[in-house]
Amino acid sequence: GAWAAAGPLRGHWAGGSRSPHAVSPQVLGWRVAAAITWSVLLLPICTAAFIILSGLDPFHPVRWISNSFNDLYTSYVIFCIFLMSMVIIIISIFNIEFYAVVPSIPCSRLALIGKIIHPQQVIHSFVHAIMGMLVTWCATVMTKGRFQFLAVSCTPSEGLEDAVPQMCLNEYHLFFLLSGAFLGYSYSLFYLINNMNYLPFPIIQQYKYLRFRRSLPLLIKHSCVESLHFVRNFCVTYYFFGYIPKVWICTTMDLHTDGKLHPLDTLSGLLDLSLFYHTWLSGVFLLMTWYIAWLLFKIYATESHHFPIQPTFAQETDQCLPKILNSNPPLLIKFLALQDLMLLSQYSPVRRQEVFSLSQPGGHPHNWTAISRECLSLLSDLTQRLIAQQEAAAAANGRAKPPVGELKVPPQTPGIASMSPLVKPSLMPVKTSPGSDVGSPFSSPALNYKMGVVDIKSPWHGPVQSPHVMRRGPKLWTSVSDQQMNGSHHESFPVLSAARTGTEAVQPRFIYTWLQNKQEQCTQNILVSSQHPEASIQAVFSDAQMHIWALEGLSHLVAASFTEDQFGVVQTTLPAILNTLLTLQEVVDRHFKLPHVSSKPPRISGSLVDTSYKTLRFALRASLKTALYRITTVFGEHLNAVQVSTEHKKRLQQFLEYKE
Amino acid sequence: QLSVLLSLQLTSEDMIAAFSQAVDWAGCTVRAFAWHPHTNKFAVALLDDSIRVYNSNSATVPSLKHRLQRNVAAMAWKPLCASILAVACQSCVLVWHLDPTSLSTRPSSGCAQVLSCPGHSPVTSLAWAPSGERLLSASPVDTAMLVWDVSTETCVQLQWFGGGGVTYLAWSPDGSKVLAATPSAVFRVWEAQMWTCERWPTIRGRCQTGCWSPDGSRLLFTVLGESVIYSLSFSEYRGEMQGQVGGSKTASIVADLSETTFETLYGEERIGGEVHSMVWDPTGERLAVIIRGESPNSQPAVAVFRTRNSPVFELLPCGFVRGERGARPQLISFHPCFPQGALLTVCWSSGKISHIPFFFVGALEPHASPRRSPVPVLGSVREQPLFSEL
Repeated sequence: GAWAAAGPLRGHWAGGSRSPHAVSPQVLGWRVAAAITWSVLLLPICTAAFIILSGLDPFHPVRWISNSFNDLYTSYVIFCIFLMSMVIIIISIFNIEFYAVVPSIPCSRLALIGKIIHPQQVIHSFVHAIMGMLVTWCATVMTKGRFQFLAVSCTPSEGLEDAVPQMCLNEYHLFFLLSGAFLGYSYSLFYLINNMNYLPFPIIQQYKYLRFRRSLPLLIKHSCVESLHFVRNFCVTYYFFGYIPKVWICTTMDLHTDGKLHPLDTLSGLLDLSLFYHTWLSGVFLLMTWYIAWLLFKIYATESHHFPIQPTFAQETDQCLPKILNSNPPLLIKFLALQDLMLLSQYSPVRRQEVFSLSQPGGHPHNWTAISRECLSLLSDLTQRLIAQQEAAAAANGRAKPPVGELKVPPQTPGIASMSPLVKPSLMPVKTSPGSDVGSPFSSPALNYKMGVVDIKSPWHGPVQSPHVMRRGPKLWTSVSDQQMNGSHHESFPVLSAARTGTEAVQPRFIYTWLQNKQEQCTQNILVSSQHPEASIQAVFSDAQMHIWALEGLSHLVAASFTEDQFGVVQTTLPAILNTLLTLQEVVDRHFKLPHVSSKPPRISGSLVDTSYKTLRFALRASLKTALYRITTVFGEHLNAVQVSTEHKKRLQQFLEYKE
Repeated sequence: QLSVLLSLQLTSEDMIAAFSQAVDWAGCTVRAFAWHPHTNKFAVALLDDSIRVYNSNSATVPSLKHRLQRNVAAMAWKPLCASILAVACQSCVLVWHLDPTSLSTRPSSGCAQVLSCPGHSPVTSLAWAPSGERLLSASPVDTAMLVWDVSTETCVQLQWFGGGGVTYLAWSPDGSKVLAATPSAVFRVWEAQMWTCERWPTIRGRCQTGCWSPDGSRLLFTVLGESVIYSLSFSEYRGEMQGQVGGSKTASIVADLSETTFETLYGEERIGGEVHSMVWDPTGERLAVIIRGESPNSQPAVAVFRTRNSPVFELLPCGFVRGERGARPQLISFHPCFPQGALLTVCWSSGKISHIPFFFVGALEPHASPRRSPVPVLGSVREQPLFSEL
């Protein structure tokens, strides 16, 4: 079953890129298949635990244990396991379809609502609700007892001796099914709100089994607590609205209500400890199996992959690290390639040697050129993005209005134009091919910036799925053209008053434009202030993991080149590297001095839901500094011979004296 | 396992005193000492829970105080960084971000990050990765040691089962391996890429201290209750052996330090016994150990050995370092980048800190990285003639 599901996906994952990347189906397909297989294999264990716990009978332990073990082999349990395997596969497919290595962070409440009512999310919620219902149906079947059937035979309450037994609604069963749907929907909602589709990469490398074992206690605890919350919420919902489905089922299926039983949408009906326990337990079961599938996918997808530096055979050229870095593979592959670059630069002298090697024949350092160019273009892209954000923040605050000419945009590297489409628009991670936007007017952030067009696709605008948000996308951030307009208007204001006495005909138009501008400014201010500043900062740095790896990889390679680079290939790029790093350092420093920007990371509780994307900017700041120190510590006084601008020379001297 | 149970019954102060690298942690004025890895700057933790940072280029001596900074057991400067100091405290790990250009003598407690994890206290040992990216912290009551990403304050627990907590950590200078000693008669060595470990049981007691050769291929360690130094060699690290520690099966004894009588300038003296702490200089040419006396009237002493790691391991006695009369050594440390040889720093029970330079030309060029300017001698130096060729 696992293979059948994984089959079509493999093609799908590869479909994103322009050039056929043989590596994507190979790498990702196997990972998906393995993750799904393991989550299906773990299902019987969870089921066994569920059956044992659901038959809990502390007063007759021997009977309880033997009964539970007898139940394990019955045909309906095996059927349920089969059915739930299907559910797990479908859940896994949703995990794969919705995953993102760059989280989408809603910058305002409206954006979040937009995300919730987005068709894709609606489908996600609907399918999860159905799946939840299926799982709880299986749970009722396996629990047996009074929950098992929807319709039970009963005698009318006004007991007459000759009354024919009729079919009555078993409200417990209905309660269970609805709780499953509710849990499934809540899971889907929390999946969205907590950005659980985000794939965080671990801070240290560990074997998959150890990572799974480490997360398992957290997963169990999280499932238990969350199930408790969901069941509580469901009880409240059922208390108020439970009669609607009950009446509807009764009328459509022509069932009667059993007068002897307490109706469940009353307080006394809901205060049934056994009912609560079983609902909670099936909730834990549901959440645990789903979270295990999710966790396994996360672990498998973020495992490091070993890319070759140089092809052993000609047809493998597409799978080489330099090639992959310079093309536009699915973003996950790009992340894996950068992670591999970081690992090889740190741990593998043999592979570093390949990076520093020259091509045969020709004697060109193709590997190093490709790798360093890609890393540098990533970093200068971030620099430009941060400059743009700082400009916008300054304009929004209405204090500093630096002229556009002051921007120190580093010289464009050829790779830069392809950068911004790499960042997936949220929630459509796989569907939109990252490479397909190259050449469109939205592809270069720098270009758009100059034109005053706000790049809606770029990640620092946060998610823009809903049409509402999309419409006011350009207004959320003051673009340069707005700012220029406002700035020039302020200057022209005295002219206006002087002209008032002169030409009367021009005056109304001036006042009109002035009013219009003012109005625009007001709306801007309102919109900007209604945005959560922390969220928009997080959005700017949402893909910073790439830049962190690029920094670590580059700096380790440069540091190693001091002793390992036989042909001096790194020396030629050293000025460019130092230049980029120092410029970025300046911009990052300036970013942390902005208002609203906290200088300390928020406290992260050790929960199952990973929120590491919230603190990526702090990690970036730290690794940038460490990267610069790594280079200056190794090269020392030799750096004085490297050609950099005087300003950067001063900065380098600070680093050499350990005063940064 | 008995020692594990015992350690759980100790109060946290007793526990820190038992596992600290300082000889008399509870009574001495200096509790912890740390050289900055790149500059002439060091931090000293004092009995009153304050930390002073001395810098050869500056007359200001910042004094660090924090509400949570109690019972400091260890300190470590972040490598590849100007001024970040991690402090192992009773309840947490504090990470001070000091401004190297600041003239303030009392940095505010807002400069300190608090890293805490439930069940992970007291912290008795810290180790930074030589690449400066991760911090390890260990507590004798927590079976897991923590790998911190300090910038984001996130941690990963490295768990194993059995053996109790972790009392002492030492990261090899090449960054490939970490020694983790436990309160029971077993210690582990982790490889720092995939984070798997190998364990070595000891015969007598727990591993008290250990140090790595510069290339990370040899570990010297001592065991509580034995007056010998063991050596454990590891296959050379090439980065291709993911998830293998590669240690040899058994450790060999390289030095016997049992009590012997020496003729000194001051008459006959009996020196020898268990090793309390041991440091290896960054060039791998000098090894200094603090020997605790065996008999009650014998004094702790600092012994220095001349060492060579390749082609074959050699360890030759070099001499003893003696302080002022009545002063006992508390802590020893080598300067991480002394250009003319090695610089040993000894903290004495009198509260004095002395720096003892060893001038020599290294057999091998120690490191590719250029070294900083020579170190001005900061404290009082009383170098004894290096006597006794054992």
